[in-house]
Amino acid sequence: MTTPHPDGVTLSDYVAGDASLEPAARADLAAHVASCRDCQAMVDSLREISAAARRLPPLTPRREAWNRIERALRADGADSKSRVRRRPLWPWLAAAAAVLLTTLVGFKVVDLRRQSAQATSAAGPDIATAQSVEAELAQAEQHYQKAIAGLEQIANAEKGTLDPQTASTLEKNLTVIDRAISESRAALRAQPSSEPAQASLLENFKSKIALLQETIALINEMRRGSDTGAAGAVTGLKQKGT
Amino acid sequence: MNRADVESPDLVVRCQAGDVDAFAELYARHSARIFSLAARMAGSPETGEDLLQEIFLQAYRKIGGFKGDAAVGTWLYRLALNHCLDFVRSRQAKMDKATDAIDGEDRSEVAARRESPVERLDLERAIRQLPEGCREVFVLHDVEGYEHKEIAAMLGIAEGTSKSQVFKARMKLRALLI
Repeated sequence: MTTPHPDGVTLSDYVAGDASLEPAARADLAAHVASCRDCQAMVDSLREISAAARRLPPLTPRREAWNRIERALRADGADSKSRVRRRPLWPWLAAAAAVLLTTLVGFKVVDLRRQSAQATSAAGPDIATAQSVEAELAQAEQHYQKAIAGLEQIANAEKGTLDPQTASTLEKNLTVIDRAISESRAALRAQPSSEPAQASLLENFKSKIALLQETIALINEMRRGSDTGAAGAVTGLKQKGT
Repeated sequence: MNRADVESPDLVVRCQAGDVDAFAELYARHSARIFSLAARMAGSPETGEDLLQEIFLQAYRKIGGFKGDAAVGTWLYRLALNHCLDFVRSRQAKMDKATDAIDGEDRSEVAARRESPVERLDLERAIRQLPEGCREVFVLHDVEGYEHKEIAAMLGIAEGTSKSQVFKARMKLRALLI
């Protein structure tokens, strides 16, 4: 006479080598499994799943996971140290931002449209004029890039002050603008004398500068503990990327 | 002993001083194990990353209280486990309902033998599809290697419930993988 099938949980315990199974019960189970194809199949597959689960290698989080954590840690660390650290930095940040703003305001942006129009109204395409426009554009780009680098340095140094969501919005917006800058550059490479491409490149530089300025303004507002000012700056940041 | 077990005391001291770069090193050593636990318990890599962030933020805040009684990796893992268990408990009611769905499964339905070994990626995917409740218990028992009585204590359930949940999970996986 064959013994009845053990219930599934008992077979599962048997597979796992559960210590709560008495040796006699374990021996009975082993005897049944050895003589029953269904239970043997069940035991084999349960054992296979269990063994595969034990062998599962560790999963690796995406690289961005650490970026998020790092921002949160820096924000958390800056928050806990705010009383001893934040105030003294504010004048330096304000001064640095002001110097950069003065530099930008003082820099006379070349009116590329006008120059280009003058060039085309002449007797015909003037290679020398085109080269001159390109040189002016390169000079303008250099000034913008310098200003952007300075603003980025300030913003990156204190980005931890921002909450992760705002920092993420900022990064997203900067990515959008950087992509637009790349596209303008590509268009200019294809058509160096294209007025829309020239104007677009300069506009995109201005957008990036404005976004970075607003980021610094937000950081400053947060340092000063002004919720209203910070809220206004956050709104500005969100609008920049849209 | 693997690399993650060998932590220089200096690293812990730097972490306790709030050095984020030191935390980056701690993260590099332990994130995979903690993320594996969190993602599998949650049944989603996205939620796993959220839990990972919360765990490391909590560790950053609490490491000042770390006394060095155990390896920092062990301390971190315990913190992670507790955080994941809190996450699991917070959706306990939903979990009880979800696991009812496989109570009626008949063991005789899946008697066919498989010749091929369980594929790792298939198993990862199948674990994600397990209903809440039995998935967490299965991960703790079969993947993380906890005993039923430990799981029962951790989750506040009966030992028999832990056993039946592991069985249900294995049966469900068997059905998903065959």
